[in-house]
Amino acid sequence: MHLLEVEKLTKRFGGLTAVNNVSFHVDEGEIVGIIGPNGSGKTTLFHLISGFLKSDSGTIKFKGENITGLAPHKIANKGIARTFQVVRPFRHLPVIANVMVALKSPRGAKKIEWIKTFERKAIDMLEDVGLTELMLEPAENVGHGDLKRLEMARALALEPDLLMLDEPFGGLNPLETDFLTKSIQRIHLDHPSRGIVIVEHKLYALMKIVKRVIVLHEGEKIAEGKPEEITKNKKVIEVYMGKAM
Amino acid sequence: MVTGYFRRAYSSFVAHVLDIPPRLLALLLFLLLLSFPIVNPPSSTLLILTTASLLAIFAASWDLLVGRTGQISLGHALFFGIGTYATGLLSYHLNWPIWVTIPLSVLVGFLAAVLIGFPCLRVKGHYLALVTMAFPIILIGLILYFKNITRGDAGIWGLPKFFPFLPYKQQFIAEYYFTLLLLFASGIILYKIANSKTGMVMVSILDDELASKACGVNITKYKLMAFAISGIFASLAGSVNAHLLQVANLASLRVTLSFMVIVWTIFGGLGTIYGPIVGVYILQVLDQYVLTKIVDVPTPWRIIIYSAIVIVFVLKWPRGLARFVTDKQEDLEEARDIDERGPRIWRTYKKKEKK
Repeated sequence: MHLLEVEKLTKRFGGLTAVNNVSFHVDEGEIVGIIGPNGSGKTTLFHLISGFLKSDSGTIKFKGENITGLAPHKIANKGIARTFQVVRPFRHLPVIANVMVALKSPRGAKKIEWIKTFERKAIDMLEDVGLTELMLEPAENVGHGDLKRLEMARALALEPDLLMLDEPFGGLNPLETDFLTKSIQRIHLDHPSRGIVIVEHKLYALMKIVKRVIVLHEGEKIAEGKPEEITKNKKVIEVYMGKAM
Repeated sequence: MVTGYFRRAYSSFVAHVLDIPPRLLALLLFLLLLSFPIVNPPSSTLLILTTASLLAIFAASWDLLVGRTGQISLGHALFFGIGTYATGLLSYHLNWPIWVTIPLSVLVGFLAAVLIGFPCLRVKGHYLALVTMAFPIILIGLILYFKNITRGDAGIWGLPKFFPFLPYKQQFIAEYYFTLLLLFASGIILYKIANSKTGMVMVSILDDELASKACGVNITKYKLMAFAISGIFASLAGSVNAHLLQVANLASLRVTLSFMVIVWTIFGGLGTIYGPIVGVYILQVLDQYVLTKIVDVPTPWRIIIYSAIVIVFVLKWPRGLARFVTDKQEDLEEARDIDERGPRIWRTYKKKEKK
């Protein structure tokens, strides 16, 4: 049984088919990358899985259970946590309270071990992404790179079985990219059964982490395989670079 | 020269008075209000402050809903009116004692808030504001239609007083203390809720609903909770106010009340809970006492002067009175951290010495 199983998922916005008949799966402990040019439906696919958009047809199964059409907070409580492409912090709250909101949700509260306090758990989550220094700073005063990491800490607070990162490297400088790569690898090592899905433009950073890549183009899946295979795939190169003369 | 004097007085005020922690400031204000009857004020002056206490509960309840959860309500007088009419109808038709009707009307306010919360949660932002604005008007229509039960335009008169066994003058003092304690209790409860973990989740909904959902928060539940808590305290204020004035009429549902609560809250500091409470006291005393009893300007002029003062202060302190005080304190603390020469007032003196 796969951790996440997406079957023939389709979403139309009027005449535009954003996601067309896409099927894929994610296994436990696997890091899967989803790549594709702008407008290929990566983010729409994310929204469909996390319940922010309703699909027109197709099914999404999580741990064998059909979660198609469930409300976003219910899906989050089942164990699928996600981040956003454009950072969405709670600007009036301090950094640590941003994480605490996720800990206050049913799943977040349940996952606190009895020996830890609520506050301790929140600090631990910030430690994982290296944000403890900015703990009490209001989120509106925090820079973009740190907010990207805050997004991840907030998702991790739910102790998800499937972590979905929407362009985690977007707008980061090489140093921050490197740091984030290392934190993702450490998270993967600490929780070997957790599946991770990453949508990304920066192929160089992505290819180092992922074990399997899915390529989307105009809403359709055009290729799937190991990073080395994908970079040599003719169709993929065509989509990214244009056809050879 | 005069402006220089004022500036020095102001900086001395900032350095000495604003340096007191906010909790102590709140306690001082409360003690001041507690000891106010010692100066033996006329009953009408006491009544202004008694009403202000109830309006402060009302403003704080609005602040929890709007300042913390971000659910804009332009018809909050609805809950005030529901409290007023619930206690009025129960006393008038069933002759139930005051200590039964007030808790019951709070219960009615709670149920109404939950009932109204459901349709209101389907809309957001400006549309929510418009929807909430409609409800008090609907209730006014219903009250006018069912004349034989509600007595329509005339209103229900002669509701029982709180302390009928006391002599006339003592009643005002007793009522003054009763409402003040009620405000103190409700203020603390609302403040605790707003600053609890539940309040934190409410702020997350104000900031970003989508991200809140992604964190696994059931936002419908928290929005309904905010509506319900707000409805409870607003209807409590309404029902106590009805017995204070011994009348339940359509004035409790007036549109002005829904909008005055916005003025008080923005003036005091949106989202702080204690800000609106202070704001109500300052603005009510300004309107009802300073501009009516001391200066005694004719009504149209009173409204113009009042509005002008409010506009000037809102422009000067866009984040409200409470936020202005806390910001100044943070500035002072920062100044103290940066150089060890002490509070700002010392520095101004030192500058003088150099000259």
